[in-house]
Amino acid sequence: MIHLLKTSFHEGLLNIREKLGSFLVTLLMVSLSFMVFDIFLVVSWNVGTVLSNEQENVGIELFLNEDVTEVEAVNLADLISVMEGVRSVYYVSSLEAEAVFRADLPEQADLLILLGPQFHLPSSIQISLRPDYRASEKVSGLARTVSGMDGVKDVVYGQEYLPGLTRTVDMMGKLVILAGLVLAISLSLVVANTVRLAVVKRAPTVEIMSIVGAPGWFVRMPFLGEGLITGIAGSAGSLLLTGVISSILSSSIPHDFLPGKWILLVLLLGAASGAAGSWMGMRSGIPKPRS
Amino acid sequence: MLISFQNVSRFYDKWPALENIELTVESGEFLVLSGPSGAGKTTLFRLIWMGDFPTSGVVEVSGYRSDRIRKGDLSNLRRKLGIVFQDFRLLSERTVFDNVALPLQVAGSSPRAVRKRVFSLLAEIELSHRRSSYPHELSGGEQQRVAIARAMVAHPVILLADEPTGNLDPDVSKQVIELLLEINRTGTTVILATHDPRQIPAGTARYLYLDKGHLANPVSWDGYNQL
Ligand SMILES: Nc1ncnc2c1ncn2[C@@H]1O[C@H](COP(=O)(O)OP(=O)(O)O)[C@@H](O)[C@H]1O
Ligand SMILES: [Mg+2]
Repeated sequence: MIHLLKTSFHEGLLNIREKLGSFLVTLLMVSLSFMVFDIFLVVSWNVGTVLSNEQENVGIELFLNEDVTEVEAVNLADLISVMEGVRSVYYVSSLEAEAVFRADLPEQADLLILLGPQFHLPSSIQISLRPDYRASEKVSGLARTVSGMDGVKDVVYGQEYLPGLTRTVDMMGKLVILAGLVLAISLSLVVANTVRLAVVKRAPTVEIMSIVGAPGWFVRMPFLGEGLITGIAGSAGSLLLTGVISSILSSSIPHDFLPGKWILLVLLLGAASGAAGSWMGMRSGIPKPRS
Repeated sequence: MLISFQNVSRFYDKWPALENIELTVESGEFLVLSGPSGAGKTTLFRLIWMGDFPTSGVVEVSGYRSDRIRKGDLSNLRRKLGIVFQDFRLLSERTVFDNVALPLQVAGSSPRAVRKRVFSLLAEIELSHRRSSYPHELSGGEQQRVAIARAMVAHPVILLADEPTGNLDPDVSKQVIELLLEINRTGTTVILATHDPRQIPAGTARYLYLDKGHLANPVSWDGYNQL
């Protein structure tokens, strides 16, 4: 069995060596088209990181009437903390708000003095939401509910850009999937075609092999191997090229390269489309032995 | 019984290439199959190595039945057979050594065992000096001897030779037939398809005559004397 596997591997190499030139051209083609996808992934990964940071911050800020006592405010906060979609609730007293204001904007601190001792920043309740509640409809729904509660003066959340944000994140996810799908299909068609050519070219060899008793998998292995290698090497090559471009551009456009998980996904996509292409190519190609 | 055809027919688009064939071949036999071009000889061979299957009836070869064999067993069946064609069918991009070694390699023999067997076989057919040559550098007779070596390298039970001398000069043909007889003497069953059954010395073989897909009465017909 070991020897048979070795021989099979050797046959695969023969298969590739016979047409090294056209194999390299195919590899380059696959790498380049994958590169377009990789660049798109890098862009959407970076935009996605920024957007999800923004989304992380999506919360609701509840400003309270001045006559609300601290006890009433804490009771209100407790009430809100058990509502659906709420991750945590934090009561910010008027004094605390002022302290934060002074720390954040020291040069404007004088403003508070100017406004006189009877002016106070309103106390507030900061609501942070569970991730699945950060989509726009859910946030505004919740905001509407709490704004009707006793002692609430005003409700603030990212009303302006929230709908757009959610939609953008959604759309980018869909675009990535669509682009991946298009790429997978076109790669498997390219591989199917080269495998089909390889099968036709090797038809006499394949035929003799099966006549002298080669098992079916042994006959198919080199072609499957060719597709897999094309897919994996092509996607790896594209990642390499994209990586080079990314590091060249990183000083002028600060960004991150793809995380390990995404790199693995790109390689898997390459492998899967390569294998699928081989299978398609073989299905239409491998001859039945005759005469 | 090594091979049996049980009421076997093979139709191509309603045309019978073979019809109602009844045949048994015993181990160690030398069977000569003759008949005009298009009679169905190649079809009969193809049914034996199961590159094709009967339209009706059952072919049984060395325990494998055409109606029950699984795909995965085809390679096992074919390892018990050696097949030689009129047009040699050597792989042009491989040396004589690699061509002969192929059946052992695809069966998973160790490189050492392959080398040992191939060298000794090439010595037997006096082609050791040609082991690094490519098929196109050999004469027709040499190519056919290489093809026979390839067919014999894995010690098959049955050797199928489909008009192996069809492309060869009479002198060279004689050599090839000698080789087949020698192979049969060592116990291998040989089935030879040929236009010219007189190549085989009288008394050494059983003769069958195929015409338009029908087997002429294999008992009473003595092809050798009639020709
Ligand atoms: N694959 C095929 N498709 C259609 N007809 C075929 C095929 N193979 C053989 N035949 C027909 O079957 C008949 C027998 O052919 P064959 O077995 O090759 O004869 P022989 O080998 O005796 O010359 C011929 O009429 C041939 O045309
Ligand atoms: Mg024929």
